[in-house]
Amino acid sequence: MSTLRRFTISIFIGIFVFSLIGICGCTFKSKTDSSNTLHLSTPSKIKGLDPIYADDLYGGTEVSRTYEGLLQYHYLKRPYTLIPNIAESMPDISKDGKTLIFRLKKGVLFQDDPCFKATGGKGREMLADDVVYSFKRLADPKLVSSGWWIFDGKIVGLNEWREAASKSGAADYSKEVEGLKAIDRYTIQIKLIQRSSQFIYALAMSFTFVVPREAVEQYGKEFINHPVGTGPFRLAEYIPGAKLVWVRNPTYRNELYPSEGAPGDKEAGLLEDAGKPLPLADKLIVQVFEESQPMWLTFLSGKLDLTSIPKDSFQQAITPAKELSHDLQSKGIRLIKYPELDITHFSFNMTDPVLSKNKYLRQAMSLAYDEDQYIEIFYNGRALAAQGPIPPGIAGYDQDFKNPYRQFDIAKAKQLMEKAGYPDGKGLKPLIYATLSDTTSRQSTEYAVKMFREIGVKLKVDTYSWPEFQAVVKNRKAQVYAFAWGADYPDAENFLQLFYSKNVSPGPNDSNYSNPEFDKLYESALTMVDSPERTELYKKMARIVIEDCPWIFGAHRMGYALIQKRLKNYKPHDFDHGRAKYYKIDVPSK
Amino acid sequence: MTSNTGATTIETLSEQAALIAPKGRSLWKDAYCRLKKDRLAIICFFIIIFYALVALLTKIGVFASSWEDAVGPAYQPPSFDSIQLLFGTDIFGRSVFYKVIHGTRIAMSVGLVSSVISIPIGVLLGSMSGYFGRWVDDIVVWFYTTLSSIPNIMLLIAITFVLGKGITSIYIALGATAWVGLARVIRGEFMKHKERDYVVAAEGIGASNVSRIFKHILPNVSHFIIINLSIQFMAAIKAEVILSFLGLGVQGQPSWGVMIDDAKLELARGVWWQLAGATVAMFFVVLAFNILGDSLRDALDPKIK
Amino acid sequence: MFEYIVRKLLQTIPTIFGVALIIFILFNLVGGDPTYQMLGKHANQKQIQELRHEYGFDQPKYIQFVQYLKQIVTFDFGRSYATKQPIGKMILRGIGPSLTLAIPAFLLTTFLSVIIGLFVSYFRGTFTDKSVVVACVFGMSLPMLAYILFGQYFLAYKLGWFPISGFEVTFPERFEYVMLPILIWVSVSVGYDVRFYRTAILEEVGQDYVRTARAKGLSEPRVFMKHVLKNSMVPILTNLVIEIPMLILGSFLLESFFGIPGLGSITIDAIHNSDFPIIKAMTTLQALLFIFGNLATDILYTVVDPRVRLK
Repeated sequence: MSTLRRFTISIFIGIFVFSLIGICGCTFKSKTDSSNTLHLSTPSKIKGLDPIYADDLYGGTEVSRTYEGLLQYHYLKRPYTLIPNIAESMPDISKDGKTLIFRLKKGVLFQDDPCFKATGGKGREMLADDVVYSFKRLADPKLVSSGWWIFDGKIVGLNEWREAASKSGAADYSKEVEGLKAIDRYTIQIKLIQRSSQFIYALAMSFTFVVPREAVEQYGKEFINHPVGTGPFRLAEYIPGAKLVWVRNPTYRNELYPSEGAPGDKEAGLLEDAGKPLPLADKLIVQVFEESQPMWLTFLSGKLDLTSIPKDSFQQAITPAKELSHDLQSKGIRLIKYPELDITHFSFNMTDPVLSKNKYLRQAMSLAYDEDQYIEIFYNGRALAAQGPIPPGIAGYDQDFKNPYRQFDIAKAKQLMEKAGYPDGKGLKPLIYATLSDTTSRQSTEYAVKMFREIGVKLKVDTYSWPEFQAVVKNRKAQVYAFAWGADYPDAENFLQLFYSKNVSPGPNDSNYSNPEFDKLYESALTMVDSPERTELYKKMARIVIEDCPWIFGAHRMGYALIQKRLKNYKPHDFDHGRAKYYKIDVPSK
Repeated sequence: MTSNTGATTIETLSEQAALIAPKGRSLWKDAYCRLKKDRLAIICFFIIIFYALVALLTKIGVFASSWEDAVGPAYQPPSFDSIQLLFGTDIFGRSVFYKVIHGTRIAMSVGLVSSVISIPIGVLLGSMSGYFGRWVDDIVVWFYTTLSSIPNIMLLIAITFVLGKGITSIYIALGATAWVGLARVIRGEFMKHKERDYVVAAEGIGASNVSRIFKHILPNVSHFIIINLSIQFMAAIKAEVILSFLGLGVQGQPSWGVMIDDAKLELARGVWWQLAGATVAMFFVVLAFNILGDSLRDALDPKIK
Repeated sequence: MFEYIVRKLLQTIPTIFGVALIIFILFNLVGGDPTYQMLGKHANQKQIQELRHEYGFDQPKYIQFVQYLKQIVTFDFGRSYATKQPIGKMILRGIGPSLTLAIPAFLLTTFLSVIIGLFVSYFRGTFTDKSVVVACVFGMSLPMLAYILFGQYFLAYKLGWFPISGFEVTFPERFEYVMLPILIWVSVSVGYDVRFYRTAILEEVGQDYVRTARAKGLSEPRVFMKHVLKNSMVPILTNLVIEIPMLILGSFLLESFFGIPGLGSITIDAIHNSDFPIIKAMTTLQALLFIFGNLATDILYTVVDPRVRLK
């Protein structure tokens, strides 16, 4: 073949390839899905769909579409109330608070799946043994679940079971645990080591969702990609890192949309579907968006029904448009904002010699940091400056209290610097400030540097990836760092435990604060039930921490959710799990 | 004839010979003459000089030393009201124009320092490897093959892990990974040249190895160094953008990479000026380097007429 | 020939060893410790010890290195720390999307670059040549990130010509999602390739045999097609062959922004999470591909250019 002919042929091949691509492009038209399908997003890759590994917000959300726990939160009622999910009713609790008896609903089926060989692929009924099995998995040291802390030291005999498993190298699921027993087909008895009002929340957390033994054994290491649950949806398609598709579970039991709610819900139209069987949507398509621009643009173009801007990690604080623009409003898009049970803060490393002994220095820095301006710039004004460690919405929050060290006052701060022995910052070496390397953290750091410079405090900034950052903080290698904490459950204890000395690094007490007086109050509050007395204790503990200033309290953030006109029944909730079953797509209004 | 007459004849002859033979030009002079005629290259050269000047003046504080100060409300679009607002403001109300200028300084210094680090390494290792051959060559080749097998991004990230984040690490990381290309080329050239007559002749007159490498061969391959410099510079500037995207970039100061990274979050809200400013600034200097590099290569390559 | 191949293969061993050593040192000794990340907010000392034991972090470094070498040989890197998926599977899953983006982009780029390269070399020195070169250089002067941001905003969002991001596993649906990234990839790469090919072709054009061909009376187009093209194929081809193994890794920027679950995106995530098994696996994969790509090039060289002797 001559060169010329060869050449001509290559040109034709090229044109062919090009047109192929062009044709594919031309066939792209906006696909409007007119079926009852929700288009949702998740801002990070999911770590798999096994409840015991669902330790982040997004993993928990996905897991809860198909798995369920004994309890759940009432969707509409506020303050947050626990109601039964696969349990038939709230547990019977003994007088001393140490024994809980749960009765399961009858006829709760696992979804159909080939792993149920005994029933020919049909899902079998969920029983008390399944609950015990699932809880033991959480305790199994070989599985290394990061959710173990909710049972650690709480259930009689469970720690010993875990120890034995550790020593022998394999967990023995047939061995009975004293405090975790199935006393009959539908009844579970849990014995606590000491009374705890917080324990019950654990049963609504995704870590304790119930899984069938057959699936775990059949799928082994692949179980994490092959969920088999009792919930309203089942997994139809899973492209890890890109997409999840959930479809209605045909064998889901008869659960109904709530008929009561909080004041104002009826007017907002949230009770229109009261009494209807769940789930209301047929299909959920969840797309993974790691970068905020594509997610935002996809929402704006109408192909996403809901984007809720994540609260948890401040790596991903997306700032939406300052106001909803006219054309967005005319499309019927709603912006819903809601106060979240969380708090952002700076922590001082209280084991550091410079910071720990110098309360005036800490208080000075606290006074020099202008939170209101930060909120204006970074949250568009949508956050509440925190006065103490407890956010609004739970007992212990002190509405009228103003933290004397958080009222922005440079003059006072400078005075305190003198008292601290560093007039205008002289003599103070730059403080080691650890932070994350993402864009938003970088900008926040620039702001912080500016603030503290006013009183002469210099920061030596070290940036890290998230794992490195955690390692640095937990190894106490930095002096100042910024964190946020979101509530695991609606009890102020979850925030106060961040100052309990037994929780110092590597635990959640990242400032390593240690105060025997505080510890005593904390320990006594642990055994109390929710009452005015306990609330008083909570307030007292908060005051101690405020005075000692191991933190510069930041803000209680507002969550934002942007919703397309056609998405109905959306109500923001701090503990997201399983909400998707209430959402509805209003098909005609598309 | 007397000797006088003989001398005159010879002189006249040599003069005549000199008049006939073409005037020999060195490679550099030749290149220079060719470049002079290439107007585009000259424009690019001056663009680069301009950037370098801006960078220098910024470093000594004449320009943009007040980039940290807010000059207006946040996210102001560009306007002609004042020079500071020419490119609008950023999230803190700072002048994007000043940030772009400051970024120029960072870019030029990143390009310069990383080249200053990588070029000597590349030349040294390339020349030794090409010249001495045998085990020296084996080691050097093994070393750079290994290095270049590892994805560049990984190396850069790993090096910044070790050295901590910040501009010094960027200099070192870029310098430590960029020398490979130059080393390869220099090695190839040295291998070609060391057998050539003039080198053998140099050995004949007693030139030592060192002398042969540096005094004789190196000048003949130095044009590759210049070309490589222009490519390196430009690659460093672009690499800084990627590093900033990964969070490994310059800390605490605005650079073009940092500004483009900021733009990620801003664009969807319609704030385009920070992206535009940094991109445009970078575009022209990279373009200039590209064109200049091309022209240099064309001018310095005696074969392409 | 066979001996040559075997010898070359053996030569790759010290390189692979060197790569393993460098990767191990860099990421093991100085990289982030994933323990805290894996245990979440409520870790305690005991859990940390248990985890370290479970994953073998508490063994001496040289033993960990030996295990790493074993992993390379068997190509089994275990599971990711973060997602707990088996890495082999993750890689297999990621290859498809990465290649869906990379192969069409590569083919298109090559096709365009060679055509344009030939075109401008033919018309070298003219205004057309200069303007095309400038256009190429334009393309190269913008950072990829800028292309992506602009592209997504204007072409995908404002004009709606392309989907903004996402991916489908079915054919042919998957192609519409990679169109915009392909376009960006091509815009960025064509410039570089055209200039490279132009140089290679012009090298040939300056050769004596071309002058001879012209002196013989061959028309310029004929000279080009019959002589120059064939001979300049050598550097062009070798450049292409080197690029092919690299395609598998995808571009992490494009994959992150366009939501394509390919190998590039997996790698970048791993770096952010100090997910060492994945980093090890991906780096080793690329190193091996690079080494064998080089080997293929060497062999190809001897086949295509008879002047090159097998040493």
